[in-house]
Amino acid sequence: MPSSIGFYLTTVLVYGAVDALACLGLNMEFGVAGISNFGFIIFQAAGAYTAAVLSMSPSAATNGGFQQYVLGWNLPFPLPWIGATLVGGLLALPFVFLVGKRLRGDFAAVGLLVSAVLLNLLAKNYIPFLNGSAGISLVPAPLQNFFNPQGLVYQLAYGLFATLLAVLVYFLLRRVTESPYGRSLRAMRDNDIVADSLGKNLRGQRTSILVLGGMIAGLSGAVLVGFISLWAPGAWGYAETIVLFAAIIIGGAGNHKGAVLGALLVPLGFEEITRFLPPFGSPSLVPALEWVAIGLLIILFLWFRPNGVIPEKRRILSSVVGRTPTVAVAKDDDTEEPINIGSVDDFNFEGLLKTSNAVNDGRVILSTQGLTKTFNGVTVVSDVSITIEQGRLTGMIGPNGAGKSTTLAMLAGTLPVSSGKIFYEGNDITNVPSYKRAQMGLVRTFQLASEFKKLTVLENLVCAIPKQSGDSFWGSIRGRRYWGAQDKGNIERAEEILEGFGLSQYADAYAGTLSGGQRRLVEIMRALLAEPTVMLLDEPMAGVHPNLARKIGNHLTKLCERGMTIVMVEHELAIMDEFCDPVIVLAEGKVLARGTMAELRANSEVVEAYLVG
Amino acid sequence: MPSFGFGLITAAVLAIATVGFTMQFAVTNVLNLAYGSVMINSAFVTYWVNRHGTSIWISLFAGVFCGAVVSWCLNKFIYTPFQRRNLVPITVVIVSLGVDLVGTFGLQAIVGGSFVTFNMSQGHEFHIVGMLLSEVQLIIFAICAVVLISIHWLLKYTRMGKAMRATSANPNLARNSGVKTRYIISMTWIISGALCGLAGTVFAMNSGVFEATSAQLYIVLLLAAMFLGGPGEPYGAMLGALTIGLATEISAAYIPADYKQVIAFLVLLGMLAFRPYGLFGSEKTL
Repeated sequence: MPSSIGFYLTTVLVYGAVDALACLGLNMEFGVAGISNFGFIIFQAAGAYTAAVLSMSPSAATNGGFQQYVLGWNLPFPLPWIGATLVGGLLALPFVFLVGKRLRGDFAAVGLLVSAVLLNLLAKNYIPFLNGSAGISLVPAPLQNFFNPQGLVYQLAYGLFATLLAVLVYFLLRRVTESPYGRSLRAMRDNDIVADSLGKNLRGQRTSILVLGGMIAGLSGAVLVGFISLWAPGAWGYAETIVLFAAIIIGGAGNHKGAVLGALLVPLGFEEITRFLPPFGSPSLVPALEWVAIGLLIILFLWFRPNGVIPEKRRILSSVVGRTPTVAVAKDDDTEEPINIGSVDDFNFEGLLKTSNAVNDGRVILSTQGLTKTFNGVTVVSDVSITIEQGRLTGMIGPNGAGKSTTLAMLAGTLPVSSGKIFYEGNDITNVPSYKRAQMGLVRTFQLASEFKKLTVLENLVCAIPKQSGDSFWGSIRGRRYWGAQDKGNIERAEEILEGFGLSQYADAYAGTLSGGQRRLVEIMRALLAEPTVMLLDEPMAGVHPNLARKIGNHLTKLCERGMTIVMVEHELAIMDEFCDPVIVLAEGKVLARGTMAELRANSEVVEAYLVG
Repeated sequence: MPSFGFGLITAAVLAIATVGFTMQFAVTNVLNLAYGSVMINSAFVTYWVNRHGTSIWISLFAGVFCGAVVSWCLNKFIYTPFQRRNLVPITVVIVSLGVDLVGTFGLQAIVGGSFVTFNMSQGHEFHIVGMLLSEVQLIIFAICAVVLISIHWLLKYTRMGKAMRATSANPNLARNSGVKTRYIISMTWIISGALCGLAGTVFAMNSGVFEATSAQLYIVLLLAAMFLGGPGEPYGAMLGALTIGLATEISAAYIPADYKQVIAFLVLLGMLAFRPYGLFGSEKTL
């Protein structure tokens, strides 16, 4: 009797480790990077099949021909497991087209879902590949020539080794998640278009994480198949992915501890509880009720506890060790007092400006030729040719629907042009992706709130700083010793600008909890930290207190004096009057006029189109 | 030619299903992945009424009613509250997967796992330009054609239809222009739900035998047809359904029947990769 309990516990240990591995991999994709991989289970399946066919003898040789499969290389342990890990990663590559920048997250998710269904269908029906729906059995256990796989000691060692792998993966993922690269991943999760505009390569980041998650899933499949010695399509229906999603949602998405907890509660917990249920109803009743329970758990948790049992923890960044978190509560927009923003003179711009010692020569730094954008046959921007001079604060006005924001979006690369060309520093950048434009110094802000909601204010700022050594996958793997010192300097810069804008008390508040005006400020600070040469601001003063708007205007003018170029879309004519020169007027997608505000007021066409009425 | 006949019936059923599915996406921006489970639940309501001695053609209305009520409730009590919370859009899709599990397997828990069939006769068989079609198939085809024409009339010539199209194109602008968007969204879910219930019932009729999980993979055909015509486009959905329905049945004549849906998968993945806004659509403004 004791030995049967021993066998049972080791089995639980192996299953727990396998589920934990799978949930960790999916959590890295979904909870951290925001990739809803509804086809995650196929990566585990691919790993299990790979480990099986790499460790088995050729199909005709020893199996008496009762099953057919490819490969059969008869490789010794641990080569099949390594192969499984690699195949899991490689399988991610064909799906890169789904997770690129242009496809909505939910469309990509259904794409992955149907891929899972398709591959299951093919594996089930095409027998020579992986033995069809019967699946592969008699998979050798690792090292079975040296030990007895049926022995308790072997099984215990197997369970402990699997657990060790899960622990190693946990620490690896934590290392990546808590690095500057992890910060960029979470920024992408919260708002991918904005992360893109700050120079984050979405396709690159998503590919890396999909490959990483796929490798972990592949490994988990190998661990599983080595223990249970069989693998069939019935075990990896697309709905199994939903079970893993349920686990992560219940445990706490974005938190690796939560992923492990979810793995123990849902896939493992369900398996073990039903094992002890007395039989009742028809044979299909208990599995059916299990699925109902999983569905209900997903809905109820997302409603009542959307952050799971262990919510993602708030990351407190600080240049000073042991600082107490400052999480002031934002005031309501209407009653907002002007924030005490530092005066222009005692504000230190030197750290912000890449071009701080550039001479203002007034050369054309950014220009367009015949820029045109059509949506569904409707022309929104038509044949716009403008020039932006270096060191100037150029305003852009026009009635609603004049195409101001669309023009700005095309300049920044957020929207592709329908026709026309864009030149930056003399180079044609029409086909340069937006993240590269940001890296070249062309940085934009957005009309609508665009903070990374579940990053703190300080994280929002730090994540925009370019050229961080820890902001790459390999950089993050090298650890804090590699990027820590630089990151400390970056945090100092962010703290400094935060103080300059009088928002220090909100440093550790989630950016999503700030008031509208404060969010605009965070956005401007973030754009400044991205070290722009040309800054494209889309209605930066909307919802900001007039006194504060004036102060921001002064800051912007000062920045231009120091060599920055700014293009600003704005509705408030008083702001234009005071700060912008020249001003470009757009109406119905065309350039109507360009000049100082005084000149424009004298232009009857402009007055008719915009200034009056 | 015979497979062309089957293809037409499959396409007609798929067309009403896809039109409902795409209308839901159009007005609420939700990929309702629980659609298949509502279909099969409606089919079972029809089955239950039918088994109590009512003619199948009368029972069918029970299925339609069930589809409408369940869909309206789904939107009203689950999807809309989640959307109001301003969560990431994928949350609602995950919720719809949860609903799908509850709907499909809740049904299975109640009715068991065995196959059932409607109490109806297939009627005479007809030879029409080389196609062999049963009376039931012809009636299914006629029903689908009438429904699709009615939907066309609704969208094109009624105030309600225009309001639906306006709500789908730009909800805020529609609301500001005096469209009662909340009412329109409810009506859309009722109408699309009725289509869903009808589709579920005729799908079950066309299959002959069915059980609780029969419609589980139907969502793939729906998605393929919808993305082919452009998400949220009812006319695109009709065209997409026609293409997918014919393609799957005709390809079945040349490749093993187990693979006949592969073409739908490939179409869907190809559309997502290259033209996610449909063959004729283009990206909406940001």
